[in-house]
Amino acid sequence: MAIPISQVWTVASYVWKQKLKGVKRYPTVLMLEPLFRCNLACAGCGKVQYPPHVLKRMLTPQECFDAVEECGVPMVAIPGGEPLLHPQIVDIVNGLVARKKYVYMCTNALELKKRLHEFTPSKYLTFSVHLDGQKEHHDFSVCREGGYDIAVEGIKEAVKRGFRVTPNSTFFDGTDPNSVRAHFDEMMAIGVEGIVLSPGYSYDKAPDQSHFMGRARVRKLFRAILSNRKKSWKFNMSPLFLEFLMGDRNYDCTPWGSPAYNIFGWQKPCYLLQDGYAETFKELMETTRWEEYGVGSGNPKCANCMVSCGYEPTAVLDGFLSLSGFWGMVKGTFSSYQNKHALKQLNEWDTHAHSQLVQIEKTAPALEETNA
Amino acid sequence: MSAEVLKYTREQIEALEIAPGAVHEDLEGFVPSLANDDELRNALEKAFDYRGDVTITTKAGKKIEAFIFNRHTGATLAESYVQYFEPNVNGKQKLGYAEIGRLEFTGKDRAAGKHWEDWVKAYNERKAKGEKNIALHPEM
Repeated sequence: MAIPISQVWTVASYVWKQKLKGVKRYPTVLMLEPLFRCNLACAGCGKVQYPPHVLKRMLTPQECFDAVEECGVPMVAIPGGEPLLHPQIVDIVNGLVARKKYVYMCTNALELKKRLHEFTPSKYLTFSVHLDGQKEHHDFSVCREGGYDIAVEGIKEAVKRGFRVTPNSTFFDGTDPNSVRAHFDEMMAIGVEGIVLSPGYSYDKAPDQSHFMGRARVRKLFRAILSNRKKSWKFNMSPLFLEFLMGDRNYDCTPWGSPAYNIFGWQKPCYLLQDGYAETFKELMETTRWEEYGVGSGNPKCANCMVSCGYEPTAVLDGFLSLSGFWGMVKGTFSSYQNKHALKQLNEWDTHAHSQLVQIEKTAPALEETNA
Repeated sequence: MSAEVLKYTREQIEALEIAPGAVHEDLEGFVPSLANDDELRNALEKAFDYRGDVTITTKAGKKIEAFIFNRHTGATLAESYVQYFEPNVNGKQKLGYAEIGRLEFTGKDRAAGKHWEDWVKAYNERKAKGEKNIALHPEM
């Protein structure tokens, strides 16, 4: 696990405070979406399918700070849209850092290299760079030849300037686990702090609803990827969540663990599903029918979801609030997860059996950075 | 929402190889009948799910072109409302179900034609023509 001790301590003490106060439901990370506009047009993306007048709307810095204070989380992720397109994103990030929140600023990094000088390295600030695997996979996934090269340039510059950087990958049906493992090697060689990964989820509003893995296939893929780990690999995630992805643990979803706030309000019930909006965090917590969500509910909308925003909070709470979970976290941090069967599966993996990806040209010339 | 719950058992869910996604109706240009309360409620539920603007005509005759991002459904129409954004108007707007006389799905469905297969097909065609730096660009 690559997460700094100070961050682990902050989250652990927050979780224990909630337990001692008798709070039944509480979030661990806020998904703060200050805008939905993006400078990529990834086929199948479910986050940006809005009319232009909606895409032009943004949260103000004060609205962002108010949301963070309202829910009281120790960590804030800033996805979108592309947050670097927000004209006051530096003010938002600086304001959150000043409040000692651990900020994961998500970006596709098309603008990162030329904007880095506006940010100040801090233990509270991490650039979480969207990178869906090796060059040909990422470029095809984000529908932009040359996107990988620009993102990696941004990552290298950020690492050089002393920022915390975590590449953040989403994997869909057809992913080649051998390529993913090579991607891990490449990222660790650049000097990133740790890797973040997740299976894809079929957002309700996404145009594409047919390239998402069911849970059995997710476990098979992640067992192949994450077993027999190299010592050089580090992950900026709970080891217990990675074990969940590999099928070694059964967890239920904690949908209130990563609430989302955006221009529409507090999203019900979670970052991924849009069943409505609440005006306040209190209203979100008190009026959402939580029993209708998560794998245990039988809700078909939750059937293929094994995504970190719902299951990593469960893993984090297990790790900090139970002895067996804590011991599992310690063991997981130092284990390489040797598994002969998984190694055989990896060596015999037939990506084309259920892949619809085509190979993008590997020697694609770099595009100019976007000014969108 | 509640009607969908308990459709799957835990065992069925855990064994899924491929996840069935949501099925979206082709609603662009649709003008639903609002003859009774149920039809109105169903139409506004579709409008909430729609990924484009709609045009609402109020019973007082005012036309509102807007993106509906939320709805609150109470026991009666008087207790139910939609929330929306209008182009060039700051802030969230609210309108009671009881005030709505006509609904039209007039705006472009922003997800239409953006399937993964559409990209693969376009990419292969453009590649075959010798095009370089192939990319999709946001509509703004």
